[in-house]
Amino acid sequence: MITNFKQSVSARLLAICCACLPFVFVSCNKNDDPKPEPEKKGAFFIAATGESTQYILQVDNPETGTTSISNNIKTLELSGYTWIFNSNPSAAVGLIYQQGDPGVGLGYVADENGSLRESGQFLITSRFTSYGFFDRYALTSVGGVTPVDGQGNALLDAGGNNRTDGVTFNFFDLKNNFASQTKTIPTLNITGNGQQATPSGIVDMGNGEFLTGLVVSEPKDPTAGGGASSGAITYPDSVWVAAFDANLNLKRIYRDDRIGYSSGRFRSQYYSQIAKADDGNVYVFSGAYESTTTRPAGVLRINSGATAFDASYYFDIQEKTGGYKFRKVWHITGNYFLLELYNDLVPAATGAATQYGVVDVIGKTFKWVTGIPALDKITATGLPAPHNGKMYFPITAEAADPAIYVINPTTAAATKGLTVTGATSINAIGRLTHD
Amino acid sequence: MVFDYVEQGFTPARRRTFAYNPSPFIVSRHKKIPTNGDCTLFPLALSLQKFCNRYFMNRYKAVFFTAYFLLSAPIVSKAQSADDDGRQKTVELEEVVVKAKTPVQRIRASSFNVIAVDAGALRNTSLDISHALDRVSGVKIRETGGTGSNSHISLNGFSGRHVKIFMDGMPMEGFGQSFRLGNIPVHIADRIEVYKGVVPIELGSDALGGAINIITRQSHRTFVDASYSYGSFNTHKSNLNFGTAKNGFFVRFNAYQNYSDNNYKVKTRLLNLETNAYSQEDYWFRRFHDNYHNEAATIRAGVARKPWADRLQAELTVGKEKQDIQNANLMKIVYGGRERRARSIVPALRYEKRNLFAENLNLRVSANYSLARNNNTDTLARQYNWRGEYRDKSFKGEGQYTMGEYDNRNASVSAGLNYRMGGRHLFSFNNLYGNFSRRTTDAVANVETSTAATFMRRTNAKNVSGLSYRFEPSQRWNASAFVKHYNVTVRGPINVSTTTTTVYEEQKRTFSTSGYGVGATVFPVDGWQLKTSFERAYRLPSENELFGDESLETGDAGLRPENSLNLNANISYECTFNQIHSVYFDAGLIYRDTRDYIRRRIEQRYGGAFYTNHGRVRNLGADVEARYFYGQTFSFGSNFTYQDIRNMERYSPDGRALIYYRDRMPNVPYLFGNVDANYNINNCFGRGNVLSFGYNMRYVHSFFRDWESEGGDIVIPKQLSHDANILYSMRSGRYNIAVEALNIADEILYDNYSLQKPGRSFSVKFRYFFYR
Repeated sequence: MITNFKQSVSARLLAICCACLPFVFVSCNKNDDPKPEPEKKGAFFIAATGESTQYILQVDNPETGTTSISNNIKTLELSGYTWIFNSNPSAAVGLIYQQGDPGVGLGYVADENGSLRESGQFLITSRFTSYGFFDRYALTSVGGVTPVDGQGNALLDAGGNNRTDGVTFNFFDLKNNFASQTKTIPTLNITGNGQQATPSGIVDMGNGEFLTGLVVSEPKDPTAGGGASSGAITYPDSVWVAAFDANLNLKRIYRDDRIGYSSGRFRSQYYSQIAKADDGNVYVFSGAYESTTTRPAGVLRINSGATAFDASYYFDIQEKTGGYKFRKVWHITGNYFLLELYNDLVPAATGAATQYGVVDVIGKTFKWVTGIPALDKITATGLPAPHNGKMYFPITAEAADPAIYVINPTTAAATKGLTVTGATSINAIGRLTHD
Repeated sequence: MVFDYVEQGFTPARRRTFAYNPSPFIVSRHKKIPTNGDCTLFPLALSLQKFCNRYFMNRYKAVFFTAYFLLSAPIVSKAQSADDDGRQKTVELEEVVVKAKTPVQRIRASSFNVIAVDAGALRNTSLDISHALDRVSGVKIRETGGTGSNSHISLNGFSGRHVKIFMDGMPMEGFGQSFRLGNIPVHIADRIEVYKGVVPIELGSDALGGAINIITRQSHRTFVDASYSYGSFNTHKSNLNFGTAKNGFFVRFNAYQNYSDNNYKVKTRLLNLETNAYSQEDYWFRRFHDNYHNEAATIRAGVARKPWADRLQAELTVGKEKQDIQNANLMKIVYGGRERRARSIVPALRYEKRNLFAENLNLRVSANYSLARNNNTDTLARQYNWRGEYRDKSFKGEGQYTMGEYDNRNASVSAGLNYRMGGRHLFSFNNLYGNFSRRTTDAVANVETSTAATFMRRTNAKNVSGLSYRFEPSQRWNASAFVKHYNVTVRGPINVSTTTTTVYEEQKRTFSTSGYGVGATVFPVDGWQLKTSFERAYRLPSENELFGDESLETGDAGLRPENSLNLNANISYECTFNQIHSVYFDAGLIYRDTRDYIRRRIEQRYGGAFYTNHGRVRNLGADVEARYFYGQTFSFGSNFTYQDIRNMERYSPDGRALIYYRDRMPNVPYLFGNVDANYNINNCFGRGNVLSFGYNMRYVHSFFRDWESEGGDIVIPKQLSHDANILYSMRSGRYNIAVEALNIADEILYDNYSLQKPGRSFSVKFRYFFYR
């Protein structure tokens, strides 16, 4: 339609902004059985956007070949889904929230033949700025909301303004047709310094608790508004991580001053910078987004089962990147993580970030990813998928059809894999298997 | 003013014939005037006859005498359209053959590709302006629901800001939600003009794809037109029109009201409130939160036909609207408490003077100011489903908590001057200045989505000047040419920060360009007309496009305007055989080559979104209309539109080959049409009483929502709906009762994906019309 381009591009914006998140691949590699099990039946799920509409493609091998967006298996009613993938139970969850309107979330699974099929539709009634998996749930969160009392009345602060410290979590039950529960908790002073908090990222500890990074800020200025959930950052040189149980009871707070907050911010989004390595330890990164922070971009560690940051562990990543800060973090395999780095040493307001590197958090090494398009040629990237020790990373370059790039974490070298013609971007890739 | 009487004497007679003709495109034709004793026009008979003899010897002299549309229409047609309504009148004359043109016919005789809808013929229906337009070839109205729902016009495939709407030549931008095509009844209009692709300079605007001009009723006589209708879904509509004049002073008053519960049934999925999951199957539900009502009134007063002013008029319009919002853009997302309100107040002034300073130098000045306040409310902490059940939520807002208020202020001044030199040359100049400002007034209410810049002012000042020349060497042909100059100045906040901390600054940017066009029409042989017109049309960048959305977007001062090369060619024929059979035929070809669409793009290498020119779309289309009349008894007509609108851009903005090169534009109806028929029993149960039966069919071929080459499988299905009506009109149109049935077959209708329109409905309408 002649006038629909603006809409469509804004849908794409949402897709691009949201479509990447760090997530934890609950690995099956720790299986003690020496005999490798035959690979489960399944397929790769690719979400790709055409001129404005998002489609789903089913692919067997993303490492080679070419397919067309017209080979899609489904045209989506809404565009701009953020797709996230869980391995156990294996599912793809499409999250969407439209400006001012709820969205219809989608679930996909692999059937007994390994083919992808829609497994449910569910309503997403609140905005979300962070998301992940916990236990049998897909979990979304948004901060900066006004908590209400039992009668639905807004809670007010001392000045009579609506409080803005509420955080709304949505739990979507992967084993029960995405049945959802919504809960809003207040965060005022949970860090003990009178501030409110916005969660960023979700890491399942496997013991009935999850960790989330906190962006700790002043309450939002009620007169100035702000698309972000947070207010002014008073403590830019500290990092906080909260542990919650399934009922959103706060179990403990982790705090450290060696890095700034752990979140990659872009517009209203809070990208996760917290992820679990294969050894079960959680790495808490900070991309040092906040312009007032004096701490370089780096990473700390919370050892499995620990109640405090590992005081003996610190890795100054910014020193190894030549001063570049980063926005997104994804776990690849073992100790390897993929980073998305800003293109400017001082990140610009527009937040251009099309450089990529691989860090080894144990070896404390950093390597730029090679074999991908130059940073000034990349127009879009999508959510990558780790598979068999490699990372499948969707990249769209100028004047080229989008493709899956296969990154080897030990060398940080990439090769071009599957190309999807007719797409303007590949929003996400993930593997689904029949459980 | 003899000429006025010629027109007004005959228009009602003609209109009576098709008083309930649902497709009011009337052919002019020879008419046999009966003689009887009821003579309202008797004093005029002699002068009329003389006039006719003098001017109408040649059938087409009348056309040329009146077809000054290009330049003089705003003045001439105002005075001459001063007639009204379906009032029936019998003229006392010997049998004479008269050929006179109504404004509707005169407009069609211009070189523009224009269709004029005679609203007078529709006043016994319960149609609003948009439904009247929906029956015009090349036009498709796409509604999201029932009474008062959002409707979008598609004119030869153009929509949104590419089609500009005017009322009496003044732009309706900024009038607010309470005055839009979808809620203004046809009663207020004398006629509605639809300009396809080539727009006269009098409608000063950057209309890329065409313009619609609603001409309100301008009678200088005493009349009362009151109606009330009641129909399905608890729908009430009423309308009161009153006008009188004495000693050159005139007063007119119009008020109308629409009310509907819109509780029609829809088929969709059910949300389980326990689990928040959707059902796998569709069920039928009755809409429960879709009440709509609006009320509006206009008063006009002034003087006419004074030495110092042919017309000086002051006007005040007030309106308000309230709409419950039942669902989102996917129907399965349902609300129970969201609503929207709008209020507008529009004062206006108008001055016209003919023969100003010199013979044949005519001036018209119009000015208006509009203040529109729109208010969105979403405060319930609830989740509803289609059964009307809800559960409580832990935060406010079914969608996004808001009590937002937005004020739009718009001031427009339009001045037109035309001069006729030596009978063959007509010069015209028009200038329109518009200043639009938008401000969000309620800070707290918009807290979730706003930034500091939300509350900063934005203004958009636009000036469009046009100059045209018309050459009329003979009565067989004429030609015209025009140039337009566009200028826009925008002010607004822009993020000037180079770091991640935003810093806003108000900036000003200006933009200007020029366009041009030509048109010609020929009357080669009796009954035939050929015409062609061309315009290089532009749409200027908006403030958002020049500035970005003030957060992480960047505007681009290097943008070009969207532009289109618009070409029309029409052929029409009309004829009456044996003084009883009349036929009318019109075929038009349109060609549109539209380029440099302004698109919002986001590329990760640049970060935030930005605007750029990109794209080329070509439309080759045909509109065909044919109509037959059997005297005053029967009429049958049909129009069909086919438009081949295709993407002609081979590459994406960054150079990637496009898979949808040469694809049909998605989500645009491309084959649609209407069929109507009307049968009248004249003098039924008494002299001057008419019983008429009408039928209307609407067809829209199915179309893809997405690019076909992308493999999208979402289709907006074929729509075929039938409407019927019966009208009994008594005492020459003074008392009217109409019964209407819409969508008789109870089809499931969609104009947009997922958004179901009402099923079968009935209404009855009573109308009283007095005219002196």
